[in-house]
Amino acid sequence: MNFRDRTIIVTGASRGIGAALAKAFAAEGGLVVVNYRSNEAAALQVVEACRALGGQALAIAADVTSESEVAAMMARIADEVGKVDAVVNNAFAPYVFDPDDRTRFWDTPWSAYQAQFDGALKATYNICQAVLPLMKQRLRGSIVNMTSDLVARPSIPYHDYTTAKSALIGFSRTLAAELGPLGIRVNCVAPGLVYPTDASRATKEEVRDALIAQTPLRRIAAPEDITGPVLFLASDWSGFVTGQTLHVDGGLVMT
Amino acid sequence: MTEFAGHLPGLSAGEVEWKTLHFGAWGEAAEIRVPVLSEAQAAALAGRVRDNARTYLKTLRVAEITAIIDQAIARLLDRNDPWRQKVERLLPIVTGYDAEMIRLGLTGYLKTFRQPQLKRFLAEDFADPQILDDFQPRPKGGFAKAFGPDLLLHVWAGNVPGLPLWSLISGLLVKAGSIGKVATAEPLLAGWFARILAEIDPRLGECLAVVWWKGGDEAGERVWLAQADAIVAYGGNDALKAIRDRAPVTARYLPHGHKIGFGMVARAALDTRKAGALARRAAYDVMRYDQQGCYSPQMLFVERGGRVSPREFSAYVGHELASFARKHPRRALAIEEAAGVASWRGAQELRAFSGDRDLLGDSADSWSIVHVEDAQALAPSGLNRTLSIVAVDRLDDVVGLVAPFRSFLQSAGIAAEPEELFRLAGLLGQVGVTRICALGSMTAPEAGWHNDGRFNLLDLVTMTEIEHAAEAAADGFAPYVD
Repeated sequence: MNFRDRTIIVTGASRGIGAALAKAFAAEGGLVVVNYRSNEAAALQVVEACRALGGQALAIAADVTSESEVAAMMARIADEVGKVDAVVNNAFAPYVFDPDDRTRFWDTPWSAYQAQFDGALKATYNICQAVLPLMKQRLRGSIVNMTSDLVARPSIPYHDYTTAKSALIGFSRTLAAELGPLGIRVNCVAPGLVYPTDASRATKEEVRDALIAQTPLRRIAAPEDITGPVLFLASDWSGFVTGQTLHVDGGLVMT
Repeated sequence: MTEFAGHLPGLSAGEVEWKTLHFGAWGEAAEIRVPVLSEAQAAALAGRVRDNARTYLKTLRVAEITAIIDQAIARLLDRNDPWRQKVERLLPIVTGYDAEMIRLGLTGYLKTFRQPQLKRFLAEDFADPQILDDFQPRPKGGFAKAFGPDLLLHVWAGNVPGLPLWSLISGLLVKAGSIGKVATAEPLLAGWFARILAEIDPRLGECLAVVWWKGGDEAGERVWLAQADAIVAYGGNDALKAIRDRAPVTARYLPHGHKIGFGMVARAALDTRKAGALARRAAYDVMRYDQQGCYSPQMLFVERGGRVSPREFSAYVGHELASFARKHPRRALAIEEAAGVASWRGAQELRAFSGDRDLLGDSADSWSIVHVEDAQALAPSGLNRTLSIVAVDRLDDVVGLVAPFRSFLQSAGIAAEPEELFRLAGLLGQVGVTRICALGSMTAPEAGWHNDGRFNLLDLVTMTEIEHAAEAAADGFAPYVD
């Protein structure tokens, strides 16, 4: 029960990795804020599951790319919970990972990059700005940003997505340097291909097999594989770790 | 582990009654035996020390005394010396302070008593230190020689390890026989130092004694007070007053009461590059000896208008304290100390509802900061790493906030540009601050500092002057007179 009396915000938690993370925190006794944008039914299901696992949970709708919606969410958290111990910036802009039908660079408009920057970077920026006053008050806190192993190894060149995730790593390192003197840690988790999620459903068996063949642990990640490293970085077990990117891809990328 | 405290020249251990004090910290325990002397033994010991000092210590030249002290300090600085090893092993258990804090703190402290520093110490108070050895010519004409008291009684506090060495060494430099009373909280180091001196120069070792009596034991104390020509005492005002009331009216009394240190940070020091390092230095001063020193800061005044706001600076100091809590953990607090911290924090929490302040850190942390936005007068903190950080529009405002507490003022740590430093020093000196230092150095006064603004050595001596006319008249009686 590593997260008893801890409050954790997971953005984009109504499905996929986010939902798995919410449940994992709940199973460790945490109070999880299940943030979602539109799928209320799914979010409420996650809340139910969290409670069944022994944790507490609270679903709050907010488009994390909207400063005002994030501010409203944080005001509610401050009001109802009063503190935040960890944030997982997991939400990202809609993206379909389809190796067979990806957009090549010369067909990629700047607006696609912009959309990914907004989804990865602006959302994280908004959340970090909004949560900081609460974390600064107690001079402690952990921020975990979800990025991708594609930054280190662009197995499939998803230009806009991967560039935005790269920016997120630089953002996280810089923020780690700024917030270290205030006792707040910032780290990244970089999964490889996680299957099945809504976003990765279009990735064909053949591609997955090709990745598996090159992955030392000989499989690809399930959403539950991501939870351990995220919980580690959110917990006191990683109390002296900041500015790091933890690759969770079975050893495909080694740094 | 059993250790005998004190230093009793002329008395064997078997002749003396011993009381056992029990100490425990960091998972270890120690039994310290402190001497309980009978009235007759006390009187005899005092007489012996007085006589020995008169026949030996007063015949040494001050340069010889500093050389002997230097040798003793060298042993305490030598990590391979058995005395030093004993200090490092036992003081953490007795005082509860983190072993590393003691090790580093003692080294820094002891360095200020090496021979060159002792020379500086002497030079601070005497234009010509040889005035302690011989009659020296005076600018007004005639000659003068400084005499220390025959018997100097020290009543020490146990707040900071090593503190007794200040007055003990002062006494030696002015050639006074010394009787020092150690505190129950730290009964060891002064006695060890005396024994080291005795190993180096046995005759000198007979010119000082280190004893113990229970604090507040009126009868026990009276015996010693009656013997003293001068008394140096450290402690709270009540204890100091009690000593004053019981001391012979003819004895010179030099009390050092409780003080409240504070820091001041100018906006010039609050840019994004310097603020972090400065916060660390301020936190260091708070951490050192858990604010038990008279020089420890209990409040920090931070000027608005810098790139880093006072509130942000508070947060940086908070995290530095959190980091120091790992490097140098706070000692386990006695019940009354923990209650002191809790009641200070509780009072701050209550006042936080009015909105002018907020508390940083959790109540479970071994440190606390309250950040205050409204100007607030100097006030003690809950000690043991608790600190108020007060935002002010101008550092000049601080003068009025500390002025009403003149008797508690001593050290002020200032971070400001040079012109500002001197200007503020002038204003602060006027209201009673006696020591201006850098943040990060508040707990390490420089060699030869004037404790509470007084002359540590000069206050102990009397001058015997040969007036010019006496010298001229003597000429008339000389065998060579024409």
